[in-house]
Amino acid sequence: MSPDELEKYIDRMLHSLPDMRAPRTLEARVRAAIEARAAIPWWHKSWSNWPQSVRAFFILICGAAAVLLVAAGAGLPTTVDGAQLGHVFAPVAAFTRPLVGLGRGLGDIIAAVARSLPVWWLYGAAAIVVSLYVMLVGVGAAAYRTLWTSR
Amino acid sequence: MPPIDFTTFMRNYQDMVYSTAVRLLGNEAQAEDISQDVFLKAYERWGNLQNSEAAGGWLKTVTTNLSINHLQRYRKRWRFFSELTRRGDDDDEHEVEFAAPENPLDKLGQADRRAWLERALAKLPEHQRVPLVLFHFEELPYDEIAKRLKVSLSKIKTDILRGREALAKALEQGGLSHEKFEL
Repeated sequence: MSPDELEKYIDRMLHSLPDMRAPRTLEARVRAAIEARAAIPWWHKSWSNWPQSVRAFFILICGAAAVLLVAAGAGLPTTVDGAQLGHVFAPVAAFTRPLVGLGRGLGDIIAAVARSLPVWWLYGAAAIVVSLYVMLVGVGAAAYRTLWTSR
Repeated sequence: MPPIDFTTFMRNYQDMVYSTAVRLLGNEAQAEDISQDVFLKAYERWGNLQNSEAAGGWLKTVTTNLSINHLQRYRKRWRFFSELTRRGDDDDEHEVEFAAPENPLDKLGQADRRAWLERALAKLPEHQRVPLVLFHFEELPYDEIAKRLKVSLSKIKTDILRGREALAKALEQGGLSHEKFEL
C-alpha cells in the first residue's frame, strides 16, 4: 500500500467514527463549577468582573491618592539630613546588629575550617554531592518508568 | 437561529468537545477536565456565542488549544524521563504487514469495531496520535501542526506516517479492514 493509499484508508476509517458519548457527569460538573464561580464575591474576582460603579469609584480613589502623593512630594524638603536619617533608622539597626554579628562569626568559622582542610577533602565532598545528585535523578527515572509509564 | 439556553447548548456540543479532547489526550479523565474548562470558557462568552453559528467551530478550536496546552505542560514536566522510555519508538517498522489471520474480532458488530478502532488510536504513542488526530480529524495541514506542536515539519510527517502504519497494522491484526468496516 503506497503512502497516499494509506492516508486515504486511514482517513476513511477515522472519519467513519462517530463522536464519543460525553460522560453523564460532565453536565453536572460544569453546572457546579458555574454555581461555585457565581458564589464568589466580586472583590475576590479579577478587575474585569467588578461592578461598573465600583470600578469607577476605584479609579477615582486611585487618582485622588496619586494627586495627594505628588502634592506631598512637592512639599518635602529637597535636602536630607544624614543625622536625622540615622536617628530614624536606629531601632532597625539595633535589631539587625546581633544577626549581622552572628553571620560574620559563622562565616569566620567556615573560612577557618576550609583553610585547615586538605584540598582533596573538598574535592571528595564535591564528588560525593554530585554522585548523590546523579543517584537521585536515577532513582527518580527508575520510579517514573516502573510506577508511571506502566499504568 | 433562535436563542437557546446554556444547558441545551452544552447538550448539543458536549459529545463533540469530549471526543476531540479524548482523541488528543488519550485519557478519559483528563478529557473530561478539559471539556469542563471549555464549557466554562463558553459560559464566560455566552453573550457572543448564544446566537453564533460559529459556536461549534469556536468550541472545537478551544478544545484543541486547551488539549495541546495540557499535553505540552505535561510533556515539559516529564520530558527528561519520557525521553528515556521513548527511544524505542524510532525503531518502528516502515513496512506495513497485512497478514490477516483468522480473528475473533471478525464477528464483532459495527459498534464494537468502532470502539476497537478508538482503542487502537488511543494506544498510539502521544507523538504519533496527536499529529494524526490534528491531521485527520481537525484537518490541519502539516506545517500548521508542526507550528502548533513546536516540532519540525519532517518529524511531523514521519510521526503521522508511522502513526498511520501502526494504526493500519493494528486494524489489520484486529480483522478490521476497510471492506469489513462499513461507512
